[in-house]
Amino acid sequence: MRECMLHISSLEVAMGGKQVLNRFSLEVAAGERLLVTAPSGAGKSTLLRCVLGFITPDRGTIRLNGHALDGASIWGLRHHMAYVAQEPVLGNGTVQELLERPFTYHANRERRENLARIPSLLEQLALSPDILGQELRSLSGGEKQRIALLAALLLDRPLLLLDEIIASLDRTSADAVFSVLAGLAGVTVLAVGHHETALPHADRIVALHAAEMEDAR
Amino acid sequence: MSGALDIGLPGMIAAYGLLVVPLAMLLWQGVPILGRVGVAVVRMTVQLLLVGLYLQVVFNQDHLWLNCVWVLVMIAVADISILRHCRLRIRAFGLPLFVALVIGTAVPLLFFTALILKRPQMLEARFLIPIGGMILGNCLRADIIGLRHFYETIDRDAKAFEHTLAQGATLREATQPYLREAFQNAVAPTLATMMTIGLVSLPGMMTGVILGGQPPLTAIKYQVGIMIAIFTGTAIAVPCGILLTLKKGFLPSGPLNRDALVR
Repeated sequence: MRECMLHISSLEVAMGGKQVLNRFSLEVAAGERLLVTAPSGAGKSTLLRCVLGFITPDRGTIRLNGHALDGASIWGLRHHMAYVAQEPVLGNGTVQELLERPFTYHANRERRENLARIPSLLEQLALSPDILGQELRSLSGGEKQRIALLAALLLDRPLLLLDEIIASLDRTSADAVFSVLAGLAGVTVLAVGHHETALPHADRIVALHAAEMEDAR
Repeated sequence: MSGALDIGLPGMIAAYGLLVVPLAMLLWQGVPILGRVGVAVVRMTVQLLLVGLYLQVVFNQDHLWLNCVWVLVMIAVADISILRHCRLRIRAFGLPLFVALVIGTAVPLLFFTALILKRPQMLEARFLIPIGGMILGNCLRADIIGLRHFYETIDRDAKAFEHTLAQGATLREATQPYLREAFQNAVAPTLATMMTIGLVSLPGMMTGVILGGQPPLTAIKYQVGIMIAIFTGTAIAVPCGILLTLKKGFLPSGPLNRDALVR
């Protein structure tokens, strides 16, 4: 049996007077590819933002590799995660600058050699090498999502958090993304999406509200 | 040369009499702000009268602690004014910004009185209070621009900011580009003033020194000194103001603390 990497217990989050997550619990094993499905507005993005420490839950706990996530520990625990947002906001500059920027941060400096993987990842994600010189604001939604995924993969983190990453992709681009994700060895994937097509190679699919109800029982 | 000429009662009556011209122009064009003009003139007179009377006492006493307390009161008023303009909560940001303003004002002020003017008593009221006020007034303007730009831009770019945190940036690393941009915007007006000074109008301190009876070349030396002191003050107060408020402005886990913003 694989070791539990991410343990979410009885998570409760209310926003704007609405209960977004209600006693949500989940365990993700190391190396597992897990998809959480739910309709729009049901709390999928909120779940990932809780794991990243951007939202403090009203109740419940999150543990990563046995360490409880809080305001102090999250700074170290984030070095174990990489995140791709549903609509990535990548800022200004060129694609090359975007990909190099994280390696100027103290936490990533030792991994700078990962930048050598850019050409092969561009090819696997069906992106032209010419895109590196393009301004970020000129990219299409689908290009932004694949570039955001590429940036996340370069960080070489053991936990990948994916928020509806194929929302803006055509069939060919989505297949390229799935192929890259399927080829990741030893990486734990927690993806959220509307339905099962969001991560076809998932080891396990959990309906968000079912996880809430199961815990409530 | 002698000191500044005093204005007698007939002179002051003449000064208020000059108001007839703008009031007549407003009436002629039907601009409905006569009441506001009246309130503004009365307020200006009462406020300046009170400050003048108080300063007279402070100047006559010229007591070290009294002078310092007066400068600290000026800083406290500037502190509250900046936070109101930036829509930031006084309870959260009041103390750290106060500290930043004290540093930003005290460093160039003491340098100016001790090393430029070479005053034996560097906390002398007639130098400390007006020069401190000039430096503080510019720190206030710069901090309003800088703090507002910093917090509003991060609030607007919340997703990009969180993306940076998710990539492993520390709070200092994630806020650095915003701080740099805010700093640049905040010192821009002072730099623009330095670029055009003397060409458009004679600056305040230079005018004061000339009216005080000193030759223009002496006035220029004062003006150069105060402009550099003002630039130094803003260059200290803005980054210090931002860095010292980071702890209250952001949640322990990194995102912007929206509870500290007035919305």
